[in-house]
Amino acid sequence: MNRKRLLVWGGGVLTALTIFGIGVTLLPYFWMLSSSLKTGTEVFELPIHWIPQVPQWDNFRSALSRGSFGTYFYNSGIVAVAVTAANVLLCSLAGYGLAKFRFRFREPSFLVILSTLMLPLEIVLVPTFLVVQQLGMVNSYGGLIVPLAVDAFGVFLMRQFIRDLPDSLIEAARLDGCSELGIFFRIILPNCKPALGALALLSFRDNWDQFLWPYIIASSDRLKTFPLGLAQMEGIDSAAYHEIMALAVLGMIPMAILFLFFQRAFVRGIALSGLKE
Amino acid sequence: MGFFFVLPALLHIAIFKLYPLLQALRLSFYRYDLLSPPVFTGLANYHALWDNPLFHQSFWVSVKYMFGVSVPEWLLALALALLLNRAMPGRAVIRLAYFFPIAMSQIVVAMVWKFMYHPHGLVNTILEFFGVDRINWLSTETTALPALIAIGIWRGIPLFAIIYLAGLQAIPRDYHEAAMVDGANAFQRFIHITLPLLLPTILFVMVISLLSAVKVFLNPLVMTGGGPNGTTRVLPYFIYETGFTYFRMGEAAAASTVLFVFVFALTLILLRLLRRGGVQ
Repeated sequence: MNRKRLLVWGGGVLTALTIFGIGVTLLPYFWMLSSSLKTGTEVFELPIHWIPQVPQWDNFRSALSRGSFGTYFYNSGIVAVAVTAANVLLCSLAGYGLAKFRFRFREPSFLVILSTLMLPLEIVLVPTFLVVQQLGMVNSYGGLIVPLAVDAFGVFLMRQFIRDLPDSLIEAARLDGCSELGIFFRIILPNCKPALGALALLSFRDNWDQFLWPYIIASSDRLKTFPLGLAQMEGIDSAAYHEIMALAVLGMIPMAILFLFFQRAFVRGIALSGLKE
Repeated sequence: MGFFFVLPALLHIAIFKLYPLLQALRLSFYRYDLLSPPVFTGLANYHALWDNPLFHQSFWVSVKYMFGVSVPEWLLALALALLLNRAMPGRAVIRLAYFFPIAMSQIVVAMVWKFMYHPHGLVNTILEFFGVDRINWLSTETTALPALIAIGIWRGIPLFAIIYLAGLQAIPRDYHEAAMVDGANAFQRFIHITLPLLLPTILFVMVISLLSAVKVFLNPLVMTGGGPNGTTRVLPYFIYETGFTYFRMGEAAAASTVLFVFVFALTLILLRLLRRGGVQ
């Protein structure tokens, strides 16, 4: 085989691999969508029906009546929006301070914040619960939201981005008599839109998905988030796969829409975290 | 001045991260069940852990899970990034398809895979097509952990491929062109140009993937309940169970401390490697 044919063959193999990979990546989601529209017996029927014979749109209605899903979705929405807003504000404040000022404890502050990346909730679960209990926030929205309000990754992301903004922007505003907070809100924030967007999306995704913390802190049904509601429903009737898949599809829709609209910001946020240092 | 900008974040971290860490350390020397006041017991909790075969089992389950997930991720994510970095028709759509899962919820993933691992589920149906007997993946001791590891890998690849891709795109094109002029083939260029320049990214991915694998909790909780026979009870699950099922807060805090020391040591070792790899 000559060199040219080898290249063509190699290209073909790589293309085939690429398509196979897409199949492996997306098949579970396709299967979820397809099963959510089947009857309870059709989901396990052989040979496989990739497309439901008669789409069972009613699955969504009956699945939603399996718990207070309206409340769960509302709670997930509240937690996601509130934590995202807090994250965006507090992380960009801290990122600005660390990127553009010199002060005595700057390096130690940054190290302390970064080191909390090694302290995920899964590790400090018990004492965090005890702290929140001491603050009297068990079974409240405050308890769900406040402990998640700052994320070290967000601080890191904002610092990296703000560091690359030109100092002259800030100095010019200062000469014009702009206050320090004014500089932050009127000069810095508008110039960080790409980073803010990426941070907001990643934060919204993570907090729409909160499971462990609500699981520990919210025992009352009124405060449960969507992931808790879904896990609870599955625990009660783990055979109703058509309805579980219908709920999973509903839980996926907000993120799927956000992703389709803001794909680039998502990818940029993840890429930014990996660049430099 | 700058300190005031950082202060809110620092206060939050002090209250919700550092204070709990110190509390965990303190509590690990006490017996505490949430109801009666804590009693100082010295190293009793650590002794109890050391004598508890379930703790040893959990530790090794966690180690197996961490490396079982992250090592394949390092390689497969790099392979995917290299594939996606090629010029090909429809590249934008192909990337969209691969990156879609990064927006997806953990709980949705857990539910779908539990469904697919069902004895009559899609995984078995596909394997049966290739002549493999049906397996009850999540209730068999030898397959439950590998089944969870497979999910972890499947979920992590697109994420780390994005990070690799950013690293690959930061390599100046001239380097490759110059090497091509000198007659280097694709494999030689990969070994002598891409790999060394990508090293910081590779090491970064190594650290992040290990740190994210060590905290897996949701999948064992809702898919296997830590079973069968504790074969999927990872350390975070052990901590949760000790604290919130058996109300042995002190022992749970001791296990947290051990896990933290382990994660801390591992990170330090990897950061050292990072330095040695020429990363600042």
